Amino acid sequence: MGSVLSTIGRYLPAPTTIFLLLLTIVVAPLVLGPMLFTLLGQVVSVIVAILTFLIPNFDGDVINRSWQYLFLEGLRFTLMLTVYATVLGVILGTILALMRLSGIKALDWFATGYTTLFRSLPLVLVIFWFYFLLPYIGGWVWGLERPMQVGAFNSALITFTLFEAAYFAEIMRAGIQSIPKGQAAAGYALGLNYWQVMGLVVLPQAFRNMLPVLLTQTIILFQDTSLVYVLSLTDFLGAASKIAQRDGRLVEMYLFAAVIYFLISFSLSLLVKRLQDRVAIVR
Amino acid sequence: MPMIEIKNVSKAYGAFKVLTNCTTNVEKGDVVVVCGPSGSGKSTLIKTVNGLEPFQAGDIVVDGISLSDARTNLPKLRSRVGMVFQNFELFPHLSILDNLCLAQEKVLNRNRSEAEIKGKALLDRVGLIAQAEKFPGQLSGGQQQRVAIARALAMDPICMLFDEPTSALDPEMVNEVLDVMVALAKEGMTMMVVTHEMGFARKVADRVIFMDRGEIVEDAKQTEFFGQPRSERAQQFLSKILQH
Repeated sequence: MGSVLSTIGRYLPAPTTIFLLLLTIVVAPLVLGPMLFTLLGQVVSVIVAILTFLIPNFDGDVINRSWQYLFLEGLRFTLMLTVYATVLGVILGTILALMRLSGIKALDWFATGYTTLFRSLPLVLVIFWFYFLLPYIGGWVWGLERPMQVGAFNSALITFTLFEAAYFAEIMRAGIQSIPKGQAAAGYALGLNYWQVMGLVVLPQAFRNMLPVLLTQTIILFQDTSLVYVLSLTDFLGAASKIAQRDGRLVEMYLFAAVIYFLISFSLSLLVKRLQDRVAIVR
Repeated sequence: MPMIEIKNVSKAYGAFKVLTNCTTNVEKGDVVVVCGPSGSGKSTLIKTVNGLEPFQAGDIVVDGISLSDARTNLPKLRSRVGMVFQNFELFPHLSILDNLCLAQEKVLNRNRSEAEIKGKALLDRVGLIAQAEKFPGQLSGGQQQRVAIARALAMDPICMLFDEPTSALDPEMVNEVLDVMVALAKEGMTMMVVTHEMGFARKVADRVIFMDRGEIVEDAKQTEFFGQPRSERAQQFLSKILQH
């Protein structure tokens, strides 16, 4: 199975491989959902046992009562926001990177201004601004009489997409520039046009080189999504926070949340390491 | 009508002149070797022929099509002119066979099986059919350059440009690449070759062009060039590289 996958991976351009990966992430839970859920329950009880053993007066009951809510409501939201914002952010980021490298001054200035602006602002500030401004901007653009109904999730998704795109753009630009100029020249010499050279020669190599950095940025995004608490959205941390306030179990819930964030981020970074070895191009 | 006509071509980066008033022709079926000291503009000249390097004055006409004409479809012209680079420039993310098929499918719109038949026949010809499924990084420099030649030939080019094809190779791999080029020349392929391999020039070149500081200093029949170069600069160059 592994060798079949890696054979497929080599023939497909990298974006397709990423798409397949995402598809697995989305489809697998539907098929294996119930099984995984039982497993998850066991993992949770192990974590609770360890925490109860380590910390005096630790009330594990509150977690046993609430973990299903935390994962089904909170973590689902967090993962959805992370995956959507990553996919959209990479697409927008690639477009911005191509604008910067296009050699057309107006496009270059726009993309440079965009990335500089977003990279110079704190994320929380951008989240606030968009949450309060977007309904008015939308209303003005579509010529509505009242502010547009955007919704907290859409507002957060748009914010994270626009914000992360600035970072992804810089990663993509470095990735594209890391491909030797002769590669593009060889593509042009064979009669390929600009879009074919980019899509068939340069970007597939750039994506492969950049995949570890892109995924590392995604892990950062995964943690940053917790900032949606300022919009009172129920992401994983938000859900934990709600239970903590309701039951007066702040230590238990915030410790548990920290363990889960750590476990997910850590296993993702292990995955990045393995992926790095597998997609590397022998030069 | 010559296959390649280079007419009074000049190119400059600011005040620095890279090419000055270069004029020469390559007839159909001719092999023309371009040599000269490094920085003489020979690589730049050959790259202007398929429009990889723009030029500011003069014109280049390939098979009757002018490069300075804004209406010229550059990708189409390039697909008919094969080019081999100093650093091979195979696509490292594609298998050897896919390297040969990519432009056949995307530019010439051949279907996959046609492209594969053509690709495999050419790999067989350069002696690398056994490596078809490997990736460029798994091949030696000499093998990679032979693949690069096959990749250019897969497009059925009307002429071939070689930009120092053996300069990046270890010495023991130079001959396997030159052998392929000699065979190609003997079949009547129109070739323009930038190289320091004077043995190759003696064996197959019809004409030798000697360049220095962006100018074509000498443009002579091969026998005349090696027998009695007219210019002093060419004489000096030859005595330097033929000493050993």
